[in-house]
Amino acid sequence: MGVISTIFGFCGFGVGISSGLVIGYFLFIYFQPTDVKNPEIRPLVERDSETLQQMLPEIPLWVKCPDYDRVDWLNKFLELMWPYLDKAICKTAKNIAKPIIAEQIPKYKIESVEFETLTLGTLPPTFQGMKVYVTDEKELIMEPCLKWAANPNVTIGVKAFGLKATVQVVDLQVFAQPRITLKPLVPAFPCFANIYVSLMEKPHVDFGLKLVGADLMSIPGLYRFVQVANMYLWPKTLEVPILDPSKAYRRPVGILHVKVVKAMNLKKKDLLGASDPYVKLKITEDKLPSKKTTVKHKNLNPEWNEEYNFTVRDPESQAVELAVYDWEQVGKHDKMGMNVVPLKELTPEEPSVKTLDLLKNMDLNDGQNEKSRGQLVVEFIYKPFKEEDLPKSFEESQTVQKAPENTPAGGGLLVVIVHEAQDVEGKHHTNPYARILFRGEERKTKHVKKNRDPRWEEEFQFMLEEPPTNDRLHVEVCSVSSRIGLLHPKETLGYIDINLSDVVSNKRINEKYHLIDSKNGRIQIELQWRTA
Amino acid sequence: MGLISGVFMGMIFGIALMAGWRHMMRYRSTKRIAKAADIKILGSLNRDDLKKICGDNFPIWISFPVYEQVKWLNKELSKLWPFVADAAELVIKESVEPLLEEYRPPGITSLKFSKLSLGNVAPKIEGIRVQSLKQGQITMDIDFRWGGDPSIILGVEAAMVASIPIQLKDLQVFTVIRVIFQLAEEIPCISAVVVALLSEPKPRIDYTLKAVGGSLTAIPGIADMIDDTVDSIITDMLQWPHRIVVPIGGIPVDTSELELKPQGKVAVTIVKANNLKNMEMIGKSDPYAVVHIKPLFKVKTNVVDNNLNPVWNQTFELIAEDKETQSLIFEVFDKDIGQDKRLGIVKLPLIDLEADTPKEAELRLLPSLDMLKIKDKKDRGSITVKVLYHEFNKEEQLSALEEEKRFLEERKKLKEAGVIGSTMDAIDGAASLVGSGVGMVGTGIGAGAGLVTAGVGTGVGLVGSGFGAVGSGLSKAGKFMGRTITGHSSKRSGTTTPVNSVQENGGAKPVQ
Repeated sequence: MGVISTIFGFCGFGVGISSGLVIGYFLFIYFQPTDVKNPEIRPLVERDSETLQQMLPEIPLWVKCPDYDRVDWLNKFLELMWPYLDKAICKTAKNIAKPIIAEQIPKYKIESVEFETLTLGTLPPTFQGMKVYVTDEKELIMEPCLKWAANPNVTIGVKAFGLKATVQVVDLQVFAQPRITLKPLVPAFPCFANIYVSLMEKPHVDFGLKLVGADLMSIPGLYRFVQVANMYLWPKTLEVPILDPSKAYRRPVGILHVKVVKAMNLKKKDLLGASDPYVKLKITEDKLPSKKTTVKHKNLNPEWNEEYNFTVRDPESQAVELAVYDWEQVGKHDKMGMNVVPLKELTPEEPSVKTLDLLKNMDLNDGQNEKSRGQLVVEFIYKPFKEEDLPKSFEESQTVQKAPENTPAGGGLLVVIVHEAQDVEGKHHTNPYARILFRGEERKTKHVKKNRDPRWEEEFQFMLEEPPTNDRLHVEVCSVSSRIGLLHPKETLGYIDINLSDVVSNKRINEKYHLIDSKNGRIQIELQWRTA
Repeated sequence: MGLISGVFMGMIFGIALMAGWRHMMRYRSTKRIAKAADIKILGSLNRDDLKKICGDNFPIWISFPVYEQVKWLNKELSKLWPFVADAAELVIKESVEPLLEEYRPPGITSLKFSKLSLGNVAPKIEGIRVQSLKQGQITMDIDFRWGGDPSIILGVEAAMVASIPIQLKDLQVFTVIRVIFQLAEEIPCISAVVVALLSEPKPRIDYTLKAVGGSLTAIPGIADMIDDTVDSIITDMLQWPHRIVVPIGGIPVDTSELELKPQGKVAVTIVKANNLKNMEMIGKSDPYAVVHIKPLFKVKTNVVDNNLNPVWNQTFELIAEDKETQSLIFEVFDKDIGQDKRLGIVKLPLIDLEADTPKEAELRLLPSLDMLKIKDKKDRGSITVKVLYHEFNKEEQLSALEEEKRFLEERKKLKEAGVIGSTMDAIDGAASLVGSGVGMVGTGIGAGAGLVTAGVGTGVGLVGSGFGAVGSGLSKAGKFMGRTITGHSSKRSGTTTPVNSVQENGGAKPVQ
């Protein structure tokens, strides 16, 4: 009897527990409100010291550490922008999710999946401090302390087999300390080529995941499984390319040959006799001055047959500007007409002769352009460089390149890059240049006129038979007077001797050195030891 | 028996489990919400909050200025500067050159950059303030300071003289940049950006001019011409309430809301002035008054000869764009041979006026608007004015806008026809150009006296237009002669030579 009773008891317990769970579910959980309320925020001044104590662990880093900066202006900015950002993000998310859902649901025999509510809540992410690091490399490092304690309400309704279930995400909290590195820096907007993001510490992620109203995350033990967002934990990084660094440097990609053949039916500009035309040629987005043909005196149908070459950096956006001017002995030369030929209209390697109508200006709506000003005949050939002709594409400053082929065994290439100097000052003049002495060989950078903080960015190479373990590099900053024959023709602004053994063992060293015999002068020198 | 008790026990256990779960849910939920509230508060702490949290151990490195400091941004900026400078040079060259052309003073035939490099001193952002002045807009004020060492060489061509390279050295910029972000509900959430320089505090832009391989004296008055050009560009394009509107992100938006447009009309009657200072050696001053809201639209009264208590009773209408920040500027000058002397200046902020209510005011004249510059406390007399501000309704606004456009168009046409040298000069600029030509030849041959007479001869202006203009060309020449630059450098400053300087030294200004 006892045995049967126990068995019945267990069975009853089994039935009871399931019915109890159902009753309990309806009793306690089902009728819980599913909407998300705005948290009540009481001003800090009204709080008592006990609640303040609880707040202490969350206190912003800028309060605790002097090397963090406060960015409350950014917080305010985000706060004001948040309602708009919220709507925009949700809209985009919905649009992205729709086709994916539509594609996936037939596989799982689900009738429909849709967002019932989707909002990120009223609380924007906040930055509780910002720290930056200044290094000698071409990079910017930022470490914002990001805390996003949100009150989102994301409800997904799933319908299958005539039943409907909802999954709701509430109270999402993400606290992270990402390191954002912008590198390499390039001289074209936005001034950096890549963004690297990596997390310095395990981020704190917490949220409520309600499945049919019951928060799964509050089941003890389950919370631990969520902390898996370690994908980008340092030193792993997430790389976001922004622009191609080789493009930013605007290296030449080809050569454009322009032959100015002739002009026809030019208009008379001079009072006496015919005009004296000449052509000015210029390629856009280039700092070089424009080129000029010879002047053909008293000629309204001049023939020049003169050739010019331009280096092309970006055939997509650059254009050649041709303008015909009337030469004058005295006073300003009159413009007789102009035209512009975009390079993308030219087929590479193919000569094309164009007859251009001369216009007053490039404004399409200007009525004065309808007047005939004559024609100009020009021949173009655009020759892009072959791949092998291209100068070495952008070199990563971080990685040390291999030495060239002909390096002797055991030897290598010593590369000295003189970046910049600061606070160099001469007694009589400050036109600094750097002089490098290595094994009796002397190299010089270009002169920078009247500048205490010159930037040279020049590279010098020394081919060596064996590693320069016991050698020194002597770098001297000198200044030469801009006027000749004065009392102080040359001055030394400071020097430094660098032991090269460290370079051999480290392959690459990039450092700022304090100059000797100088008040505050510093010089930044990068050394590389490239071996085969 | 066992079954019933089993079911019973099971139910109790099940319900208890659920209750426990709910308790857990609630506990975690309240904890999270409390934390969210904390984080939110900690994102915008002020001094009192921090005092309460830290008590006596208040960290000494923290301060709460109105403009929040951004040391980290400055560090990054100085590192990034060489690259930004490189990238910006091309952009600046392409965007500023047309502007220079537009504002080019007469007497100069071409004004271009022949070299532009921004130097290697990065600008500094002293502070940033973010506020929301209007729904759907974020206003960001950036306290911007730049004591740079850029090398800017302007290629200046004047009539009869070959191109002269002129270098702008030791540029210093102190200003507050106001950036307004217009928000939108599409990524990237900003539909347009409005950029302007705050007029209060006044932007300060100082620089030194130097002729490369020559002397500034080659073109008379060139230094002042460039100063005025730069100054007009800034006050007329950038200084609040003038602004630059940049639409962003390909969202089609109506930016007309953001653009500056006429808001109202001010009818000003300059009644009289009392107890003016006597500036003349013989007799008394010959005063006239000038009033403007925007420097491009100035109007002036007749000259009353030999009177320190002149009565003008002349009425002008001026357009106001922004009642909150704009002011009426009244100036009284002494008409004189050579340079007109300023007897006093006074400002009447438009915000003091009530719409459609006439107001009569007696304003005390000051030697300068810049309170720091006022040294003497002598009484300079007063000016009595009657002002009526009328706010435009929609139609009036549109017609005013049209009118203004038409007026500027007309000037442009005149300029193109070669009658006047630049848009900066109004209709009577024609006369001044002729004058300036004479003036230049005069100086060229060293006959300075001829210049003065030429100046007097140019008094052919248009009263009817209501827009008295500034023949800056000749006035400059006259000013130049008066000042006699011996070296080839002159220190200029935005504060010491505001647009008024044109008036101040309007030596050969055409006056009715």
